[in-house]
Amino acid sequence: MKRSLVLAVLVMTAFVTSQAGTISGKVSGVAGESAVYVDTIQGKTFPAPSQQPVIDQKGLMFAPHIVVVQQGTTVEFLNSDSVAHNVFWISIGGNKKLGHNLGTWPKGEKRPFKFDNPGAVPLLCNVHPEMSGYVVVAPTPYSALTDKSGEYKIENVPDGSYTVTAWHEGAKNQSKPVTVAGDSKADFTLSK
Amino acid sequence: MDTRHRVSLLFAFILTVVLLTGSSYAIPAFSRQYGTSCSTCHVDFPKLNDFGKAFKDAGFKFPKDDETFIKVPPVMLGAPAQKELWPHTIFPGVIPGLPPISLRFNQFFQVTSNNRNNFNAQLPAGTVGSFIPRTDFQPGLFSIFTGGNFGSDIAFWVDDDISVSGANANGGLGDAYLRFVNVGRFLKMPTDSLTLKVGQFELDLPFTQARGYDISPYDIYTQANIGAVNPAYPQQFVSNSFTLAGPGRGVELSGGHHYGGYRYAIAIVDQNTSGSPPTNYPNVPSGTGGNSGGVGFFSDSNFKDLYGRLAYRFNLERDPASRHEVQAAGATGPRDHTYLTLGTYYLYGRSVQRTSGFLPNGTTATVLTAREPFYRLGGDFDFNYRSLDIYGLYMYGHDNDVLPFIPAGLTGPTGFISGNPATFSGGFIQADYLVYPWMMTILRWDRVGSTADQLNGFLAGSSGAPSTPFFSPFSSVRNRFTPGVQFLIHANIKASFEYQVRPKQVVYAPGTTVQLVSPFRTNTATAALEFVY
Repeated sequence: MKRSLVLAVLVMTAFVTSQAGTISGKVSGVAGESAVYVDTIQGKTFPAPSQQPVIDQKGLMFAPHIVVVQQGTTVEFLNSDSVAHNVFWISIGGNKKLGHNLGTWPKGEKRPFKFDNPGAVPLLCNVHPEMSGYVVVAPTPYSALTDKSGEYKIENVPDGSYTVTAWHEGAKNQSKPVTVAGDSKADFTLSK
Repeated sequence: MDTRHRVSLLFAFILTVVLLTGSSYAIPAFSRQYGTSCSTCHVDFPKLNDFGKAFKDAGFKFPKDDETFIKVPPVMLGAPAQKELWPHTIFPGVIPGLPPISLRFNQFFQVTSNNRNNFNAQLPAGTVGSFIPRTDFQPGLFSIFTGGNFGSDIAFWVDDDISVSGANANGGLGDAYLRFVNVGRFLKMPTDSLTLKVGQFELDLPFTQARGYDISPYDIYTQANIGAVNPAYPQQFVSNSFTLAGPGRGVELSGGHHYGGYRYAIAIVDQNTSGSPPTNYPNVPSGTGGNSGGVGFFSDSNFKDLYGRLAYRFNLERDPASRHEVQAAGATGPRDHTYLTLGTYYLYGRSVQRTSGFLPNGTTATVLTAREPFYRLGGDFDFNYRSLDIYGLYMYGHDNDVLPFIPAGLTGPTGFISGNPATFSGGFIQADYLVYPWMMTILRWDRVGSTADQLNGFLAGSSGAPSTPFFSPFSSVRNRFTPGVQFLIHANIKASFEYQVRPKQVVYAPGTTVQLVSPFRTNTATAALEFVY
């Protein structure tokens, strides 16, 4: 009997500690999509995902405009236009030493790049200066892109205490502590 | 012409030089339509980059997959399937989804050198003469321009200066034409080997003046051929006001591309060597009525000018595949090719001079007409390497001089005899260096050699009008050096600066060759600010 009770407590404990919650909320103060992600978790690393999202250059635009990826993700850059483009960024997370130029490639071809450093990557084209896109490299796999009204939901976040950061192009990042225990809420108000 | 007029003309010339800058355009309408920046097509607008040249060649549209780039869908003037019904229906076309209207304004500030009022030396002491200010603010052009593609590879363009120098309705129509791109496809000709343009347009010059980006125009483009005054007859008989920079009215056949390979153009345009439309035709019926907007004639003779140009551009990229692309693929992105263009051009016309005279019997009055053949011939080059573009042009102008023959005892001519032709030659070399994408330095050397201009300068102020914009050139060769720099504040706002080291002039005592002042240069410094939107 005593043994069974201990086993039941252990199972319950394991269940509770492994239960994934959600972080949801709204990013306001800015218009359009924003990225929200759980920031670096001390002592925790995550394997790089195998999925490789694609950012297209189509109709003189980067599509999608914003992609949120986990640190270590390889992003493929496709050129669907019949005109030449050039993809480059001058910094990652504001660090100009991480600027890079991917060059130019023909229509229909892709060029991969693995983002090993967290931070926002502003994508530019030196032929079409109006082209703008962003790769937001999150240090954890827990991230989401808001809808146009600012609503977001990050799923499968293990219960615990984290720092959650909201990013929006041209606005100042905002971070706040969030304790996840099941469904949690975190709203942000960003300003430019 | 008295000194006051000459000084006024000097001032007017300087102003004209500034305003003629002039007709430079970048096309915001295309920016709106495609949702892209001016710099997609321009290097320091309105200078075109290789993509801009391809865009223009294609009939103001992207060379490939144009429809995938248009952000404002065009309005259909007929379903595409209607094509199958033609000729039993109107062939379907399109118009731009937004009115393709662009506007432009420029303004200037000019500083003129201290000797600017030297021509007042011809006036008697105490006479109030004309006055050229040391500094002056000048409004420039307010222009409207519109262009695009109506589908079926039919491009259109119209530009007009709504006001010039602050005076409303003082401008004029620039280019206005329809361009039927690649009509050679109907004749199974190679792609882009035959295109037809109809309307009023700048001739296919090696380097455009109408859409130039310098503050001052190329001197050789504005050189008219006014022969030296003939002492035996009280006027020049070569009086050809034609300049290569003027618009042509007619048709042009062309082919090839501006961004690589061959390029040719053949134009047949109205002849007008008198410099202004003939007005003395009150009883002549016009082919157009008031409802059609115009009843004027623009030719002053039956003959049409013939213009031809042939050029070849060698793209010099190491990668053979890249040579045939619109832009070269550089390590850090697409860029203009390294290229060398060599070209030649030729214009042939007949300058008509009409004068009162007599039939050979010497008694019956009549109108005598001389048709003086003239031609302009030259060559050009353009070498581009990364941020450096060096180009130049040479021109030789030749007008046959047909002199009136006045037999002894008669007061007027009965015919003509050949005289010495009036000729001029010259050209320019310019170097553009793009220091930054927003900053371009310019250095230009203009040179015009015309003995007639110098000879006419001797007589300036006594009889006959000065025949050159420099009034009294000190020598038969006029050199002008023009360093400049241009800054893009935004892609559509530009600040420019030029310093013009002008040719030497001299002021003679009226009717003599006595110099009243030492030879001098009326140099100018001009700053310009312009925006398009």
